[in-house]
Amino acid sequence: MTSNLPLINIMFLMITAFAFPLIKKIKYIYFFSYIIHILLVISTLATLMFVVNHGAYALNIGYPDTFMGIQLYISHVEALLGVVFSIIFLMVVIFASSTIDKEISENRIGLFYLLVNILYTSLIGVIYSNDLFNAYVFIEVSTLSACGLIIIKDKGETILAAIKYLIMSTVGSGLVLMSIAYLYSITGHLNILLSHNVIVATYQDYPNSVLIILSLFTLGLGVKSALFPLHGWLPDAHSSAPTPSSAILSSLVIKVYMVLLIKIIFRLFGLNIVKDIVIMDIILLLGSAGMIFGSVMAIKQKELKRMVAYSSVAQIGYVAFGIGLGSIAGLTIAVYHIIGHALTKSSIFLISGLMISQNKSKYIEDLKGIGHEMPITLILFTLASFSMVGIPIFPGFISKWYLSLACLELNRISLILIILASSLLNLLYYFPIVINGFFGKENLKGRIRKSKKVNPYSLFPIVTLIILMLLTGLFSGRIIDFIALSFA
Amino acid sequence: MKYKDTILEEVCRFLILSIQIFAFYIILNGHLSPGGGFSGGAILGSSLIIIHLVFGKSYLQKKINSQNIPAFISIPLIIYGLLKLHSFLSDTLHWPHPPIGTPGKILSSGFILPLNIMIGIVVAFVLYQAFSYFWDEEF
Repeated sequence: MTSNLPLINIMFLMITAFAFPLIKKIKYIYFFSYIIHILLVISTLATLMFVVNHGAYALNIGYPDTFMGIQLYISHVEALLGVVFSIIFLMVVIFASSTIDKEISENRIGLFYLLVNILYTSLIGVIYSNDLFNAYVFIEVSTLSACGLIIIKDKGETILAAIKYLIMSTVGSGLVLMSIAYLYSITGHLNILLSHNVIVATYQDYPNSVLIILSLFTLGLGVKSALFPLHGWLPDAHSSAPTPSSAILSSLVIKVYMVLLIKIIFRLFGLNIVKDIVIMDIILLLGSAGMIFGSVMAIKQKELKRMVAYSSVAQIGYVAFGIGLGSIAGLTIAVYHIIGHALTKSSIFLISGLMISQNKSKYIEDLKGIGHEMPITLILFTLASFSMVGIPIFPGFISKWYLSLACLELNRISLILIILASSLLNLLYYFPIVINGFFGKENLKGRIRKSKKVNPYSLFPIVTLIILMLLTGLFSGRIIDFIALSFA
Repeated sequence: MKYKDTILEEVCRFLILSIQIFAFYIILNGHLSPGGGFSGGAILGSSLIIIHLVFGKSYLQKKINSQNIPAFISIPLIIYGLLKLHSFLSDTLHWPHPPIGTPGKILSSGFILPLNIMIGIVVAFVLYQAFSYFWDEEF
């Protein structure tokens, strides 16, 4: 029974999603969503314990034979990511119950939770799936539900942003589908494990095909995860969406496609095949460019949420950088950075949503002196920005440290300069908010101490996420060892 | 409706009946012949759209309350999910299978018939809902 939990999670979320439109009272909608997400946290933890005790395992669904059936593969990374995702979703849902009625109209709250459930299903589906076509179907579902979560606010800018997102990610999924079709014509399998066996045996006969497949995957998944030059849709979509949606979109949705890319590079091709292909260097280059230019563009922004959204482009750059190194250490850190950044960015988005709604202005200028009015909120923001900048102990520092170590291992010392530069650039846009928020005499003029009360229901999830972020930093050694078990 | 057309109404009275019977035929024979839930549901949905266009919204409102359409869409989806969960898990957990029946008869092939019926209902109402969003401009 426990081994079937990943499948039950996916089905449970899909089935319960459609119960939301049937519930008339909003209070019961909130209550129902709490129950669903708490159960999901418990069940993903049980999956994690099962993987810790029994090791990685494949789960055949419906049909015992791998060739015909659908397969899920749950290794240490998948189980750990499942837990992180379920916790973030629970926290976002708790946050949403106190604020969502101010952002979207009342008759759409049921629809919002429906879309959250569907999005969650598709994300864990992409992570667990060991079958490329199923992963593709889940990618499509996640795109549509993410568009729904943006458009649900029903304002001109959200509709424009969602259409932009929809068009660009349709191109992305088209590329992914093309590469899956190409792969299928060579290997005759959709299952990652079976395709891997065929590729290992025959890849020398198809020198260009591996390049084409991998570049199509990189482009397609890169559009969806906003890899640097393909990030055009992200700032609009993430800054105009309702706060809980943008927390989910920015911390989880764009990461999932990177996880799939890691799976494709490590499981489908294997590092031995991939290491001589030029596309890995291109991923590295795009990642480095994203780390620098994402931060540069974030510095120029005047709106808080837009700045945080551009910072996501920079952080995806770190993940791509880790993948592009093409070593096991790089992939491990990419996964660690996904976890650390998911916790950090979701809390930053929730905090900025709180600050914007309390301050009634979305511009960074108007946040001067906000620390006087909302001290706890800004302290939490400070802690999260410490992680983004890379102060020791925090997960942001750990991933930068290990990325540098991975560069040293490969004797590519010049790459460390990029990590350092990006770190300093992060400092340039996160710390002014903190410093202007707390200090400066003229900033505090007209601000009354602790005048803006924050609902404890909206503060609790942020505090939890920040504590988890700190724990991720403190126990980084163990977590990285645990992740590395998947890449053994 | 802005105007009434008696000829159109009288023809549609017969036409709609045959369209709906054809839709039910396609849904119920989905596991035996070409067709199935989606195509049958699309035909059923288009018959609802024709009723809306010819007889007006108020006529259809008497038969199907538009407040209940979300329920008509989500309840079959929940049932579909539960049936699918059963068929995914029944092998590993040794749950009882549905009876297979005689091949070629309507009551055969396990869960495919109920799944087709659920999909048919969902597609019909989703099509009609999408149409009425654009036609009535009520979001």
